[in-house]
Amino acid sequence: MKLDGFILGLSNGVACLATCAPVLIPYLLGEGKGIVRNYWVIGQFLCGRLLGYLLFAFLAWTVSSAILQEASQRNMIIGVAYILFSGLLIFYGFFKKTNATCESACNKNKYQRLLAIWPALLPAAAGFATGLSFCPPFLLAFTGAAEQTSLMMSLLFFFSFFLGTSMLFVLAPFVGVFSRFSVLQIVGKLASGIMGFYYLYSGSIMLIGGLKIL
Amino acid sequence: MMIITVMMLSKGKPPMEPVRQIAFILTFVLVNSIFFLMIRTGETDRWRSILFVTYAVCFVISFISNLIEARGSMAVSQANMIEGLTPFCHIVIPMTIIPAALTKTIIFPGTIIGTKTAIAGMFVLWIGSSLALGKGFCSWVCFFGGLDEGFSRLFKKARIKNVNPKWNYLPYAVLLLIVLASAVTLAPFYCEWLCPFKTVTEYPEITSAKTVIQAIIFISLFIALVMVLPALTKRRIQCSLFCPMGAFQSWTNKINVFDVRVDPEKCIECKKCIQTCPTFSINEETIAKGKTAITCMKCGKCIDACKQGAIFYHIKGTPLEGRVEIYRRLFIYPAFIFLATMSGGFVQDAIVKTIKLIITGSMF
Repeated sequence: MKLDGFILGLSNGVACLATCAPVLIPYLLGEGKGIVRNYWVIGQFLCGRLLGYLLFAFLAWTVSSAILQEASQRNMIIGVAYILFSGLLIFYGFFKKTNATCESACNKNKYQRLLAIWPALLPAAAGFATGLSFCPPFLLAFTGAAEQTSLMMSLLFFFSFFLGTSMLFVLAPFVGVFSRFSVLQIVGKLASGIMGFYYLYSGSIMLIGGLKIL
Repeated sequence: MMIITVMMLSKGKPPMEPVRQIAFILTFVLVNSIFFLMIRTGETDRWRSILFVTYAVCFVISFISNLIEARGSMAVSQANMIEGLTPFCHIVIPMTIIPAALTKTIIFPGTIIGTKTAIAGMFVLWIGSSLALGKGFCSWVCFFGGLDEGFSRLFKKARIKNVNPKWNYLPYAVLLLIVLASAVTLAPFYCEWLCPFKTVTEYPEITSAKTVIQAIIFISLFIALVMVLPALTKRRIQCSLFCPMGAFQSWTNKINVFDVRVDPEKCIECKKCIQTCPTFSINEETIAKGKTAITCMKCGKCIDACKQGAIFYHIKGTPLEGRVEIYRRLFIYPAFIFLATMSGGFVQDAIVKTIKLIITGSMF
């Protein structure tokens, strides 16, 4: 393991958890699962996050950070990711029916079917999108990964960074203690939906900004 | 009440300027007439609403004119924020708690003490009124509530009668979101993005695409939640289905001594209370339990509507029967003192500004 990447991630852990909290906590409340089940959801969330990080590690090594140092391309990539993610959040918050109200007989549209087939999609997408925040430690990690001598080292650097940032996420599943309050599921879902609008705004601004620079 | 209102309205010093004397007398007469009618007729909401709506309208007139006098515009610039010249409003309170605990700072570009709109003053007012009235704050103290209440009374009949109960949880979702987002961004997220009342108070100076979008959001929310939907539903939509402060304030009903109770034995199930409640706080389920929901703002509308006298103000821990009028008076005295005190200054100021506008063509 790359110790420098791990320490860098660890030092950024609180900020990472705080950045994810407005998305993660309403989602966990909305699902209304217990603590143990929430660990599984957090696992999916962190997998999405890891996927994003490894993708950047790959880009860092292959293009020596050229793509992502270009503000326009960086904004467009994140903008598109945010818009796609916002669509999922808005759908989840305002349109996805709960198990109690939608039995197997109920008509499901293609998005509902998608989430029913692959329930990990939303937490994984949330992890991926919230991981794409170009905060100073992330940029440091990116630079660090770009300086590695091989692709494997670059991936390992980002993986260590990911492990460091993930340490504090072990606390998040304890939101599950509120799972017996069924109204919190509705509150959590609605809050996720509203957060979706914020991501839609952020994504649109980034995309428009990126297109303007181009 | 007359002595208290003289003291509160004059602030211990009778006005000397003729225009201010007229405003003082008019306000004094208005406030005391309303209180007299409240006691004399036994109706609460009918009279409260007149002063509450007047208060909100006068607040807007007074606030905007003072802003224009002080800054030359309703817009708040970055310089104003850096200087801490932004007036603090109670809706910010839930957003400040976590950042204050974590960073020992108040995440608002205002001053802690020293002005009428300082942060400390607003906290004291909120704590005092919450202890005294619980969520009654929203119907007796809040300077914004009268706006959507006014619009909710525009038409005689509701055009939209059924609202999905799911939306009752929206204020809690907004509260959850703004508390988390404010803690992360260390900025009052609701004020930056979601407050409909920016439309009639102050808004960020429009200097970028971001501020244009913010202005569009503020105006759209104001039109939808404060004007159109209250008028169509005859309910206080902004207060009951969106305001995060209202959701936060609901919990103060737990610690407040006053509540609104229902006597299921007297109830003839006419459902007038359910139809008239402006905040969706009473339904068949709560009636069966003999009380209103936690979101009850103690406005008294259901009490006025119930001709059977099955709904009444009550003091927790006391018997339910026999002392209904005493309970009511024990509630409306402190509630009305808050309303009269809060509204008095704004009503006087608005009258002064209006008279000056008519006489001189300028409010200043």
